[in-house]
This record gives sequence, C-alpha cells and structure tokens, in this order.
Amino acid sequence: MRFAFLVAWREYAENAKTRGFWIGLFMFPVIIFLSISVSVLLETKGTPIRHYVLVDQSGQFASVVESRLDKLTPPAQPGAAASKAPQRPFQRAATPAMIDTNADLDSLARDLKPWLRGEKNVEANGREVKLDAAILIPREIEKQIVRPRARLAGSTAAGNGIEYWSANLADTRLRDEVEQAVNGEIRRREYLARGLDSAAIREVEQTHAPFASLNPKKEAGREAVSGVDIIRQWAPSGFVYLLWVAIFTISQMLLNNIIEEKSNRIIEVLLSSVTPGELMMGKLLGIAAIGLTLVGAWMAALIGALSWNAGGAPGITGQFLLALKTSNLVPMFLVYFLLGYVMYAAFILALGSVCNTIKEAQNYMAMITMAMMVPLLTMTFIPKDPNGTLARVLSWIPIYTPFTMMNRVNADPPLIDLIGTTVLLLASTAAALWMAGKIFRIGILRTGQPPKIVEMFRWIKG
Amino acid sequence: MNTNSQLDAPPLELRNVTKFYGDFKAVDDVSFTLAAGSICGFLGPNGAGKTTTLRMILDIIKPSRGSITVLGRPSALEVRQRIGYLPEEKGLYKKMKTWSVIAYFATLKGLTRKAAKQRAYELLERYGLKDFAAKPTEALSKGMSQKVQMLASIAHDPELVILDEPFSGLDPVNQQVMEEMMRDMAARKRTILFSTHVMQHAERLCERILLIAKGKKIFDGAIADAKRILPRRVRIETDDDIGPLRQLSGVISVEPVGMPRGAAGPKDLTHWELQIGEKADPQAILQLCFARGIRLRGFNQTDPTLHEVFMRLVGPEAREAAFR
Repeated sequence: MRFAFLVAWREYAENAKTRGFWIGLFMFPVIIFLSISVSVLLETKGTPIRHYVLVDQSGQFASVVESRLDKLTPPAQPGAAASKAPQRPFQRAATPAMIDTNADLDSLARDLKPWLRGEKNVEANGREVKLDAAILIPREIEKQIVRPRARLAGSTAAGNGIEYWSANLADTRLRDEVEQAVNGEIRRREYLARGLDSAAIREVEQTHAPFASLNPKKEAGREAVSGVDIIRQWAPSGFVYLLWVAIFTISQMLLNNIIEEKSNRIIEVLLSSVTPGELMMGKLLGIAAIGLTLVGAWMAALIGALSWNAGGAPGITGQFLLALKTSNLVPMFLVYFLLGYVMYAAFILALGSVCNTIKEAQNYMAMITMAMMVPLLTMTFIPKDPNGTLARVLSWIPIYTPFTMMNRVNADPPLIDLIGTTVLLLASTAAALWMAGKIFRIGILRTGQPPKIVEMFRWIKG
Repeated sequence: MNTNSQLDAPPLELRNVTKFYGDFKAVDDVSFTLAAGSICGFLGPNGAGKTTTLRMILDIIKPSRGSITVLGRPSALEVRQRIGYLPEEKGLYKKMKTWSVIAYFATLKGLTRKAAKQRAYELLERYGLKDFAAKPTEALSKGMSQKVQMLASIAHDPELVILDEPFSGLDPVNQQVMEEMMRDMAARKRTILFSTHVMQHAERLCERILLIAKGKKIFDGAIADAKRILPRRVRIETDDDIGPLRQLSGVISVEPVGMPRGAAGPKDLTHWELQIGEKADPQAILQLCFARGIRLRGFNQTDPTLHEVFMRLVGPEAREAAFR
C-alpha cells in the first residue's frame, strides 16, 4: 500500500500545480461571491436613478403619483453624511420648454421622441440627464376610465388612457408604480362618489382567514413550514449540480492523467516498480484527494460567503445558511461525492487504460457523459416528488444513486432506500473496481487500436 | 531479509519460459542464467521476443509456461527495490522537474524522499545535467531525456539492471555516455542485461550475448564463441593468379571481393577473400604466396564481426520481420 500512497501523493502534488486545478478551485467561490454580493450591490447601489417627465393635462393625478414615488426613497442610514442621503429612485425632470404640454397626446408624444430616444437631454436638479420615460395623462382621462357597467353600456370614450412612453422595456417598476397610484386614486374617488366608506372597504379587503402550511414530519408544535423548510427541500438540487460538476471535472482529470502516462510511455517504468493494482489505487486516491480539496474549498467558500452575507439577518442567505446547518446536506454531499467518484473513476480507469490518445478516449467518454446527463435532466423534478416512482427507481440504479439520493436527502426517504441503495452502490462500486482492475492490467500495456467492448468483456472473464 | 540461498542465487535465471499471445508464440522455451556482475547483450531482430522476455523477467506480464527467478525470488516485484529497468518506449512526465522525476522513481524503489532527492542531484551533476535539475523535463533534448530516464532507472543503485534498447535514438556522443554509465555500473559489480540492435555496442560492452529469433534462443555464450561460428578470413590483393592457394590445407573457400573499375573478366580481379578453418595458420598462406611468386599488394587477416555472425544466424528472420 506504501507504493499506492507514493503514486497518490505524486498525482495530488502534480495535479495541484496545474492551472486547471486553481481555476477550478477559485471559480466556484467566485461565482458564489458574485451571485450573492454583486446582485445585492447592483440592487442597492448599482441601479441608476431613472428620470421621467409627467404631463398631467387632467391636473388630477400628478400629486398622487409624486406622493407614491416619494415613498420609494430608501431610509437614511444612521450617521451617514448628508451628501450620501438616499435618493428617490425615480426623479421627475422638467418638461422641455419647447414642448406644448397642452397639445393632444399624439403631438406631445411625437414632440418628446427626440428626448425619449436619447437624442436630447432633459434637466433635473440643475443637471442635464437622459430621459427614461414620459407619463402622459390626457385631459379627458375621466371619460376613458373603464367602469364595467359603463363599458357594457358603451359609454366609455375611446383612447389609450394614460400613456407610458419608454424605450426601456425591461424595467417596468415606474410604469407599475404610476399605474397603481392612479388607479388607487380613481377607486378612492369612486367609493366616495358611490357613497361608500373607503376606509371601511380597505378594512374589508384586508379581512382574511389565516392559512398555514404544516409539515406532519416536523416536531410537534413546530410543524409550520417556514422559508428555511422550503429552501431545505430545494437546496439538494443545487448540491446535485455541484456533485455532477465535481465528479465530471475530476473524472476528466483522471482520464487525462492516464492517457498522458500511456502516451508518454511512462507506464512501463511504473509497472516495473508498482503492481497494476497499486498504480490504479494510487491514481484513484490521488485524484480523489484533489477532488476532496476542490469540493472542500467550495463548501468552505459557500458557508463562508453565506455567513458573511447573512450576518445573522433573517434574509434569504440567512435562511439558506440555517437550512445547511440544520440538515445533512454537507456531510451527505461528501459521502455521495466519494462514492460517486469511485464508481465513475472505475469506468474512467478502465477506458483510459485501453486508449492511447484523448481522441480515442472521447468515443468511450461520450457514452459515460450521456449516461451522466440523466441526473441533470431529472434534477428539478425529483424535489417535487422526492419519494415518487421516478426518484425511487433512479435511486436504485447505482450510477444514479449518488445524484438521486443527494436530491432526496432532505425529504426523509424510506430507510430501505437510504440503506439499500448505499449498500448496492458500495457493492457495485467494488464490482466496477474489480472489473476495471482486470481491464487496466491488460489495457495499460496495450498499444494500437483500442479493443472492442466484447474483447474487454473477455479480459474480465479471463 | 535476504536468505543465504537468495544471496547465492544467480541474479537472473529463466527456465523453459514460453509466452503465448492467443495462438501466437512470442517466446518459445527460452532458458538462460546470468552471472553476478556481468554485462550480457540480448540480441535479436525486431519481433524476436526480446521485449516480451524482458517484461516477463520484470513480472509486468506473466509467462504462459516456465519459471523465472530474479535475485533469488520468483517474482521481480518482490525484489523491485533491487532492480532497475529502462524500457524500450521511453517517456517522462513533461511538467515535472528533472530532479523530481528521478527522485520519484527512486522513492518507488524504496528510497526515502530525502535520500532520493540527494541522489537525483548527485547523478545529474555526475552526468553533466546539473543545470537542468530544476527545469521541467519538456525542456530537455531527446538525448538528455534519455539520459535522465537512465538515471531514473538506476538512481536506487540496483543490483540487476535491465535496459531495453538503451542506445536507440541517441547520437554517437550520447551513446558513448550511455556506454560509460553501463561500464560504471559493471565496475561496481552490478549485473546488466541489455537489448540492442547495434552489434558494436554489444561487442564493446559484453562478455556474453544471448541471441533470439522467432522467440527461440539461438545462441548463448561468449562473443569469442559467437565469432567462431563463422570461419576466419584472409584478404589479399594481387595481380597474379591465386589458383595455388585454393589447394592449401585449411583454406575453405576463395572468393573475389568486388570488381575493380574497368575489369572485363576474372583475369582482371585483384581482391580476394579466403575463408580459413579454425586451426588454419594464415602464415602458411603468406609462405605459399612467396614460394609460388604471387606478388602481394595487400594481406589482411580479419575475424568475423558480431554483425556478420548476427546476419548469418538471424539474417533471414530479420528480413522476414522487417516485412511483416
């Protein structure tokens, strides 16, 4: 075994020096960091102030719109300098002087187009700024209000109603705010016109029966389903993806490594010093250690980033962190990573030993990759029915056991599934390693065309 | 621990070793023994079974029949720390540093990491590669790479060294270096078995050769004995009739050598080769020439070369293998 460890140590040391390893090591933490921090940063600081012009020919709604938009101003940070005072995300700009605000909406819109297209700038707070949107409220808006009975009677005037002009189709926040402000005011007036107490109506609208989601599998008294529970149910899918990436990455590493030794003709010297079994075991252990280093760093980065970002707050990252801490996700991930890796490594070792070039290996690798696609395709279905037929069938197929059971880990799968599939996976992995050893022993010294599958079966039997 | 019987045992012994690949017999009933501290050349044409035999000796592949004893043990893997091997197909880890490759193979042969590193630097310095010690092996020339591989195979100071085509691909200068390395080892009583196609190396290095063709051993003995397989030769140059020499006792044959420019027929032949028996005296030829008035412009007695012996013994096989 000493020689297997020597081989393993070389594999680890040499692979840890490669650029690919370091890229793999840092890529995931960087992605985690970016997805958690940068999105928050962009949300809070990166979203630019949008400028609009509001022409309210009816003279009825400008104040309610402004009042609603005022409420969007974020609260001031205690102790922050005055220059850092939070700003309203939507700022009203002065309507350009040459625009006739009393013209009909068609003319108004036509006249405003050079500003809306960015060809000209408007003025806001003493600065020239780009105009993002124009809100045009027609003089006769009252006649265009849609009332169900009036519409049936055909007494509603034709027209677009309030027009929202903007070249930015993706950001609909301003449009939504204006629409809600105007319609809220129209309804308030409608209640008054009909002699209804709008305050009473608001109270009625807020009247409801409490509705709780409860999980019978949870501890008595704590059955209520929380955000953490939802995350806990869906988080395994993320881990399945991570598992897939980790196993796929290091399987490729193992394959490249064997092909390099075969094509560089080092294998024969190695085999005069170690047995094929020791060589195979050394490679398996060395690359497993590389994989564990990678996933260990990824896990540490994930938990570190979540802890740093959550800071004890009950936000989504805090809930995710709690979900991780209160479930077996991380330890089960490591278990299934190791079992899954050894299972796939057995196939890779066998096929790598019979190929002389990466090109030759790709033909065989395509089959393994195709088989490995199944867990990705079923990844999002399994959490919806984690103990259903699809999940249970896939769990009992050893090459899919690590991925499927990882996906079911938080759904309390039956004990028979948990223990039975693990025992089957262990037995299949041992059998796969035994068969791989048989092929490896013969294939590793073979040159020329790779053998046919039938021939490899003969080696196993012989 | 080595028992007395293991210490007394020859470094290498093959008994009736046969290897089949399917129906093809790659090695056919080969037996030989190597004496401790000897250099033995393992010769044979392409496809003769040399590499297969060497791989069986190293227990990389198993013989179909027969037994192999290496340093007193039935498997080379049991005594791998005492064996060095340089395979025919040579390669190194491209990204590893030169010293590190040598040290790695030395640790696989039982040296500690520290001792292996020290030994790697020592060897690189001795063979003029010290400046390349910290460079990746991909920076080495082919000759240097081959030297490094040789150093990697002997870094643990093995008792038995097996070299498969150690000279292939080397320029004459590096071939010389390789020969020196082998002589160094032999001087320290290490046993060396090496295969080669270049007879001059075998002639210069070996006391003994093993010749195989089509998997069968066809000669096993001292180089001098191998040369006795072919008759000795005397070459003479004269314008006179050499007819009387044909009748001399001990002369086996007289053949013209080449045809001089402008020669129209036998009368114009001037160079002759006489094959003589083992006990024949070349001086008798010289005396007969003087007695019969044959005026000599040249007289030269030569022994057959190993190359000629090789060509005689396996020539047809070699040609067959070349076209196979």
